[in-house]
Amino acid sequence: MRALIAAMVLGCAMFFTPMAGAETPSDEPDAGAEGSGGETAAEDAAEERAAQFVGVRGPEAESVPGGALLLGAYAIVWLLLFLFLMRMRGLQRQTAEELERLSLEIRASEDR
Amino acid sequence: MGHTHQSGSSTAWSLLLFATLVLFAATLYAIFVFAPVEQQMGIVQKIFYFHVPSAYAMYIGFGVSAVGSAGYLLKRDARWDAVGVAGAEVGTLFCLIVLLTGPLWARKAWGVWWTWDPRLTTTLLAGMIFAAYLALRSMGNAGEVEKRFAAGLALFGLVDLPLIHYSVQRWRGVHPTVITGKGGGLESEMYWALGLSFIAFTGLAVLLIWARASIERQREETAQLRFELMHR
Repeated sequence: MRALIAAMVLGCAMFFTPMAGAETPSDEPDAGAEGSGGETAAEDAAEERAAQFVGVRGPEAESVPGGALLLGAYAIVWLLLFLFLMRMRGLQRQTAEELERLSLEIRASEDR
Repeated sequence: MGHTHQSGSSTAWSLLLFATLVLFAATLYAIFVFAPVEQQMGIVQKIFYFHVPSAYAMYIGFGVSAVGSAGYLLKRDARWDAVGVAGAEVGTLFCLIVLLTGPLWARKAWGVWWTWDPRLTTTLLAGMIFAAYLALRSMGNAGEVEKRFAAGLALFGLVDLPLIHYSVQRWRGVHPTVITGKGGGLESEMYWALGLSFIAFTGLAVLLIWARASIERQREETAQLRFELMHR
């Protein structure tokens, strides 16, 4: 029984202590802003990032690198065209080899 | 006579190749130097100059495939079949370019890679129909039945092309309509870049279809020769 009570007290302590710790920094920004300068502001920003997630409101709210997307698009065009040309070259080579083999067979059958 | 015809055809192909290369150089200059950066979207809008002409080249490829397929179904001539295969392959290539470059633009413009907009959906459908055509034709040496079935599939795919084209006008969607009657249009430099790109992509599509059809004819003749040798 004592062990159970001790476990419950320990559990409550573990559950409530982080919550109390997380609530205390919310009072700090005002005090920090009055005190030091840029360093405190950076700390505040870090605290804000850690404390909340803010959803993106619409596509324009997110910065997407246009240059990289443009480069990717043009690279895709040239790459696919190159692959298609390689495929055609492969088909042509395959046909030429087949023709060579067939002409050898014809010559061999004529010699017989 | 046959040799003269072949030589003339080769010269025409080389001239077209040269003209297309020059046009592509001019197009790239027009896109990146002459045409201004778009106010709202920024530099990513320049994807438009390759994306839209690729869609147009896709229409050419699929259209040629449907014409070749119809010719094959009517005449049973292997030359028409070769045109059908070449058109389908080149059309699918440009369809793939459209379906891959579009999302890169959409990510910036719409905030998503893909959305089930009518034009996007019908383009994907056309790509899938012609991919099925190519899958059917790639199963070993296609026989008469496979060729006829594939030709029917290409004609079915042709029905989807007007749906792609008119989907932005008929149905509500998010696809831009800048070069249609409903759109606000482009700046004159942008029109120049797009016009040059359209001509360059037309040349490229014709070159690729021409070369691919020629290879397909050679393959068909080789297969015929092999068949005759086996049954000698």
